[in-house]
Amino acid sequence: MEKRNKSLPGIMLIGVLWLTLTLASWFSAPKEISFSERRKLEQFPGITWDSVLSGEFMEGFEKYTLDQFPLRDTFRTVKAMNAFYIFFQKDNNDIYIADGYAAKLEYPLKEDSIRSAAQKFTYIYERYMKGKDNKIFLTLVPDKGYFLAEKNSYPSMDYDRLFGIMETNMPFAQYVDITEALQLSDYYKTDTHWRQEEILDGANTLADALGIERSGLEDYTKMKADIPFYGVYYGQSALPLKSEPLYYLTNETLEGAIVYNEETGKESKIYDMNKLGSRDPYEIFLSGAAALLYIENPKATTDRELIVLRDSFGSSIVPLLVHGYKKITLVDIRYIQSDIIGDYINFDNQDVLFLYSTPILNNSSSLK
Amino acid sequence: MLFSSIPFLFYFFPGVLILYFLAPEKLKNSVLLVSSLIFYGWGETKYIILIVVSILLGYIFGILIDKYRKTPWAKVFLWLSLISGLGALGYFKYANFFIENFNAITGLGVPFLKLYLPIGISFYTFQILSYTIDVYRNDAAVQKNIIKLATYVVLFPQLIAGPIVRYVDIAAELESRESTLEKVYGGTRRLIIGLSKKILIANTLGQLCDIFINTKGKSIVFYWIYGISFTLQIYFDFSGYSDMAIGMGKIFGFEFLENFNYPLISRSITEFWRRWHMSLSSWFRDYVYIPMGGNRVTTGRWLFNIAVVWMLTGLWHGAAWNFVLWGLMFAVLLIIEKLFLGEALKKIPGLFSHVYVSVLVVISFVLFNATGLEGAVSDLKGLFGYPGLPFTNAETLYYMRSYAVVLIIAIIGATPLTKNIGMKLKRNGFGFKVVVGAEPVILSLLFILITAYLVDGSFNPFLYFRF
Repeated sequence: MEKRNKSLPGIMLIGVLWLTLTLASWFSAPKEISFSERRKLEQFPGITWDSVLSGEFMEGFEKYTLDQFPLRDTFRTVKAMNAFYIFFQKDNNDIYIADGYAAKLEYPLKEDSIRSAAQKFTYIYERYMKGKDNKIFLTLVPDKGYFLAEKNSYPSMDYDRLFGIMETNMPFAQYVDITEALQLSDYYKTDTHWRQEEILDGANTLADALGIERSGLEDYTKMKADIPFYGVYYGQSALPLKSEPLYYLTNETLEGAIVYNEETGKESKIYDMNKLGSRDPYEIFLSGAAALLYIENPKATTDRELIVLRDSFGSSIVPLLVHGYKKITLVDIRYIQSDIIGDYINFDNQDVLFLYSTPILNNSSSLK
Repeated sequence: MLFSSIPFLFYFFPGVLILYFLAPEKLKNSVLLVSSLIFYGWGETKYIILIVVSILLGYIFGILIDKYRKTPWAKVFLWLSLISGLGALGYFKYANFFIENFNAITGLGVPFLKLYLPIGISFYTFQILSYTIDVYRNDAAVQKNIIKLATYVVLFPQLIAGPIVRYVDIAAELESRESTLEKVYGGTRRLIIGLSKKILIANTLGQLCDIFINTKGKSIVFYWIYGISFTLQIYFDFSGYSDMAIGMGKIFGFEFLENFNYPLISRSITEFWRRWHMSLSSWFRDYVYIPMGGNRVTTGRWLFNIAVVWMLTGLWHGAAWNFVLWGLMFAVLLIIEKLFLGEALKKIPGLFSHVYVSVLVVISFVLFNATGLEGAVSDLKGLFGYPGLPFTNAETLYYMRSYAVVLIIAIIGATPLTKNIGMKLKRNGFGFKVVVGAEPVILSLLFILITAYLVDGSFNPFLYFRF
């Protein structure tokens, strides 16, 4: 009897906890999207005889229960807090926090991947630009690890080696080094990207190389987006990181510019305010990922054109170059095959800028 | 279905508990049988028929052995039981290993069979065989109720990764058992401890092992960190699984025997194997080693018996040469200890004997986890530094720092220190109240934490599934 009494409080406490979570799992309405993780959540899989026999249903159900678990974000935070503050692990899901910035471990340097990217760019050059009057430039954007990793004893890839491989393997392009114009504070604390309002020095380094006018903060109006910005590492780290402001720079030229998306056939502005409520508010810059965009600048005083082969870092820096061109074409070969670029763009006499961030080059299998 | 998964912990297990405790006494075995078959079918739909046939054969041979006891037919039926059980195990687990070696020796190109290993086949085959052998030896009464025998074989807490429960150990409980509040609480406590060992420690160390395996930045120190981490991972993984099995068994009123007894504190390899996977080593002892004559034979035959048993133990773990070598390595070490080192190990300071066991066990598990013979040689070379391998590097130091606390917790957790402190506290009146009061809170916090790790993580392999 005495032993029974001693077991009862334990059974009650653990039982109530277990039962509550169980019933909540069974009866919670499924959600469509995880905003913190920026992805669609798994829905209840369809049951068929075949899907059960093949195990497809079970696999889908397991993913569904993980994705739809009640208080999923809170539990993920509990796990992250335990990893960082109880187990004293240096990273959680490869995300670490140093100097107040969340960054992803980008290590080691994958030389094969870097060379493969350089070969891809060389192929594009040889197929479309060789023998033409294009002026070709290469700019590499370091991720936050460039400023953070080694200094804080995190594994760091050999960035000089990366830059060297790209420069050596792309002799047809003039390398524009913007690393000196960048610093850690130019990046968001919770996101992979840089802050547009902080990268004018980098944009001006590019402007000098491209031979267009420099611009200063006084040439723009600094606008603050009306939302708290949580970057991609907020969700990935699952830590309770603070939101940060998201600014964008605008002026009459940028207000008047028209962005045309070749894939959707839609026109929009440089800054797409509808994206502020989306999974990734950074997409206000040129509406986010797109295979092929044209920016027309009706206020241009020149006929010059620029073609930018780029990743998402290009979305926020290219607007700072708009004043120097009548037309800018942005190509993202993660979403369009290199072989068919020529169907849309006639390479002839434009400036061409290859602008890529180090994480994309170090994981270049996505380049088509 | 993994025990350490959301579908199991928040769908299957609560559902089974509700049905089990609502079911009348005479239907409780049926509830366990049906739910165990669903549990098995969830991960192994294709081979559910194999386990059903295996049970039917075990059931029929058990009855026939009993019926023809004291006649030569009993032995025939025992042999048929052995051949059918080991035949299925051999076919599914070793056929391609045999073909691979046959091709290597003859230079022929016999095509591989399109087979994959049915989950838990090594465990349930050994359980069925222990039943028919024990019936033959008259150590167990024949079970004429197929539901009870099937429940014994497929009982989901121990179905896919042990411990290898012998029929005689739970025969009485299959007839009648009681689930008291004390047992339910004790079982729940054991289940949560097992889940914590698996999810918080083994999986975290597993990530470190994966990082090591995939990195190009290896070093001698990193090889040793990997060896230590994998040894601790497999201990916490497998002993955690056994804790879960024992805990769930207890909730349903079964008392499974212990499978681990702090093996990593052993002072000799002989002691290590008395404490590690006890249900397997005792199975081989009772059903292979002793029938071969054990140690009551000539020295030469005795050494042969040891070598055979340990080669089979290695092969039981997997159809690859590194497992055979792993088993033979222990055979050699056990022989050396029995012939030469045994007494010396008892006399030398504990520190030295612990270091001796720890180093050999780490080396053995590096061999165990290698990919084939080539990988095994490469990994063993790494432990002692092949030309060009740095002593340490930045990556090693980073991961050493990052996993230091988990490694320390794991090392302490692999000793009985925590258990002893708890017991000491319980002896004191005030300490007893503190432990009894704090325990449910600590278990609840652990439960929240393991749920958090499950919700966040996708890294969740069970190492003993492959056996």
